[in-house]
Amino acid sequence: MPQAETTPAPTATGTHVLTVEGVAVRFGGVAALSDANLSVEAGTVTGLIGPNGAGKTTLFNVISGLQTPDRGTVHLHDTDITRMKPHRRAKLGLARTFQRLELFGTLSAGENVQVGLESSVKWWQWRHMRRAFPWVREGVPVDGGVPVGTPTGPGSLAVVTSDRLLDGVGLGGLGAEQASAMPTGLARMVELARALAMAPKILLLDEPGSGLDDAESQALGELLTTLAKGGMGVLLVEHDMELVMRICDYIYVLDFGDVIASGTPEEIRRDPVVQAAYLGAVADPHADEVAQGAATTDVGAVPAPDGQDVGHEDGRGDDEVTTA
Amino acid sequence: MSNFLQFTVFGIMLGAGYAIAATGLVVTYTTSGVFNFAQGAVGMIAAFGYWELVAAHHVPVLAALVIVLILGASIAGAFVERVLMRRLHGASAERPVMVTLGLMVILTGMATIIWSPTTQRTVEPMVSGQFRLVGINIQDQYVLIIAVAVAVAIGLRALFYSTRTGYALRAVVDDPDLLGMSGVSPNRMSQYGWILGFMMAALSGVLLAPIQTTGISIEAMTLLVVSGYAAAIVGRLKNIPLTFAAAIAIGLAENYILNYVEPHLSSALQTDVTSALPMVFLFLALVTLPSVRLRAVGRLTSMKAPRVASGRESLIAGGVFLVIAVVIGLAFANTDVKGTTLLTLGGMVMTLGIVGLSLVLLTGYSGQVSLCQFSFMGIGAFVMGKVAGGGSVIGLVGATAICAAVGALIALPTIRLSDLYLALATFAFADAVATGFFADGRIYGAGGLSIGRIVLPGLSLGGDAAEFIMVTIFFVLSAWLVLAIRRSLFGRRLVAVNDSPAAYATVGLNIGFTKVAVFAIAAGMAGLAGALYGTVQQIVGTTDFDLFPGIIFVLFVTVWSIRTVSGAFLAALTYVALNQISPSGIGIFAGIGVILIGRAANGILGIDAIHFQLPWVKAPAGLPDPDGPLTAFGGATTGSEGFRAAG
Repeated sequence: MPQAETTPAPTATGTHVLTVEGVAVRFGGVAALSDANLSVEAGTVTGLIGPNGAGKTTLFNVISGLQTPDRGTVHLHDTDITRMKPHRRAKLGLARTFQRLELFGTLSAGENVQVGLESSVKWWQWRHMRRAFPWVREGVPVDGGVPVGTPTGPGSLAVVTSDRLLDGVGLGGLGAEQASAMPTGLARMVELARALAMAPKILLLDEPGSGLDDAESQALGELLTTLAKGGMGVLLVEHDMELVMRICDYIYVLDFGDVIASGTPEEIRRDPVVQAAYLGAVADPHADEVAQGAATTDVGAVPAPDGQDVGHEDGRGDDEVTTA
Repeated sequence: MSNFLQFTVFGIMLGAGYAIAATGLVVTYTTSGVFNFAQGAVGMIAAFGYWELVAAHHVPVLAALVIVLILGASIAGAFVERVLMRRLHGASAERPVMVTLGLMVILTGMATIIWSPTTQRTVEPMVSGQFRLVGINIQDQYVLIIAVAVAVAIGLRALFYSTRTGYALRAVVDDPDLLGMSGVSPNRMSQYGWILGFMMAALSGVLLAPIQTTGISIEAMTLLVVSGYAAAIVGRLKNIPLTFAAAIAIGLAENYILNYVEPHLSSALQTDVTSALPMVFLFLALVTLPSVRLRAVGRLTSMKAPRVASGRESLIAGGVFLVIAVVIGLAFANTDVKGTTLLTLGGMVMTLGIVGLSLVLLTGYSGQVSLCQFSFMGIGAFVMGKVAGGGSVIGLVGATAICAAVGALIALPTIRLSDLYLALATFAFADAVATGFFADGRIYGAGGLSIGRIVLPGLSLGGDAAEFIMVTIFFVLSAWLVLAIRRSLFGRRLVAVNDSPAAYATVGLNIGFTKVAVFAIAAGMAGLAGALYGTVQQIVGTTDFDLFPGIIFVLFVTVWSIRTVSGAFLAALTYVALNQISPSGIGIFAGIGVILIGRAANGILGIDAIHFQLPWVKAPAGLPDPDGPLTAFGGATTGSEGFRAAG
């Protein structure tokens, strides 16, 4: 599919933190990803949008190591992580959240975050946790609620730091609550806090705005922008187009496993190919009006052009991994 | 050459029998997602039922077959699905495993009561006679078994791939709700699957019973289809043709080994090989499986985990428990129960309590099912008896270390698979060790293995009271250790890896390492318990650590609460008490208990009406306001779940 002429991906710091090249994944006879290419720069928020079944979650799974691609490569900085196990990728600075919640449900919200905090600590090194904590070790200089410097106050370092992280995502005082008992919106923030606890270089967020109201969505956008300003690369899958258009520096549009367009939010808004993919219509003289409408519409409610879903190997839509 | 042909025909026939049972397993798993550990027990009941009708009541063969296969199996299958399995929807992953194991021990327990194990029962072939082909004699029964197996395989293939019902049967596991929306009842499809599975199990039992030359026995018939388990595993629990081919290959391999290899072994080893061979096949099938892909399943466990006692609380509770146990123990020191002193029974409770604690750590926290903790006990007792002359502290350390190492070796090849396969591997290991190692007269000796009381410099532990106090202290220390682990960084990881393996990996933690580590720790604890059990009993026998007692004990821990220290202790107490009161009925009690407890993840102690009455349980703090503010997000309240279309 021809792509409109677009601006090259911006470079806030000039550093490619994540590069995906020619990734293809097939589930039986269905191509979930055909030839996916994208890159994320440090210090930017990059959007990944597309209709249901476009392959967004499959691409996230490939990047995070839950799905091995049939071909193509994934690089984290200059390191080829294509065949690397998920936990090794995470240690290199890759963190993610899930479209359907993947929380440690029987643990409290605070313990969920502590597991992320302590992921770099060998379990027999518990006495040396202070030195090994990523936030302390690297002192990620981020404000906007995310801890800066060494935490102080009562309790263990892990507890204090996790409380502070939860504060940062708006869950102050809820650290003791069991994660599975929390409403979806709050639980998504626990997942985000857990990911942030790993002090990631690249953060993959799969529909973090789902379950949030407008005010919370606004606050989420501000938090992500702040994180990016601190040097983190953020790759965002989101159906709330208002949020995507507002905070993303660059956007990739995925459809039927292909990147059909990329560019700045303004370029994407005006791209006729994107219009066709989202609304099932070819570009027309009123494209701009339609585009504006698409930008403010929850595209999650818009079906794929032919109503098909790209399936997992178990036959489910890739964005529709069901509750087991 | 004629021998080879004869062995080949017999091997194919044996494999055909396994194939029928294995395809039944596949059908049940495909349509319900449950691996039916009771498949062999159903076949056993069918074989005994058939014998009862034909041999004892002279019912015509055809009528007996209709009663057993068509009426009995289908009604039982429908009943099990409706009453036992349907209510488990949404239960924790280990629960269906426990319920089918419960069904297995109920059926074997009932069979033991109805059909005395001391009576020999021989089942006549359904079709008598034989014919000669290429120089060998072939019995008509062999041909019947092979023909029925082929017909079953073709019939099931046609059913699953050429009929609407077949498509619905295959779809029900993938997405029952979606199937329901298309106008087909998912419950009914699942019920059909269980009925078919039970009919296959009964058919294999009835067909294989006549070839048991020494007569049918409850344990042998129950475990006869374990080779069928191996075949089903090779077929990945979904591929019927591959399952069928694997079953034939296993039948052939088994028969060739028995006829070509065994005669060259010593008589003791011959028995070991014969007994352990099906389990060896199962273990080999498991280790050759490819790794399962880690996937995000969107599962968010809603189970409310029991509160974990703080360090101070566990120290106080442990001290109080120790004092009470010692006072009670000493007060009734001279009381005998059926010829065994109360102190000895108390010592058994404490040592089995340690095994229960190992299950709390392994299954309760990390979600892995082990059916071989009694095997580690047996190995621990063996090491204790052999190292430093028995009764030595070095023996305790050795038993713990060796069992931990063996545990790691068992876990390593299967840890990359799903937890069901680990349960199967431990099932295979438990029976292989019991029949191929413990049963060998050279291991424990004809009269059992003597293990002395522990001797410490300057401290006599020779008396029953001192021994009881010592094992009680070990139990309290083990409980304290388990709770300390749960409160630690490692404990959080154990719970986390159970709750969401995908999230666990993506936060940078190694699933394989964690699972092997906890399995090794739990095995070490069981080994320590076995060594202590030996010092309590002072002599251990060949049947102390069998597969079935081990499974029954796991069920009791599940019934009380596999996630709490109290549950481990009460399970041990129940097991020892019922073993004294009704040894033949203990399996039935355990099975009924686990069925009644159903999907209650935290067992009896987790039921709120009971839980909050326990003196050591604090009332829960108020639950959070589900619509509480996200403070940093402008004080906005959380929107209703899913108000925005997701994905």
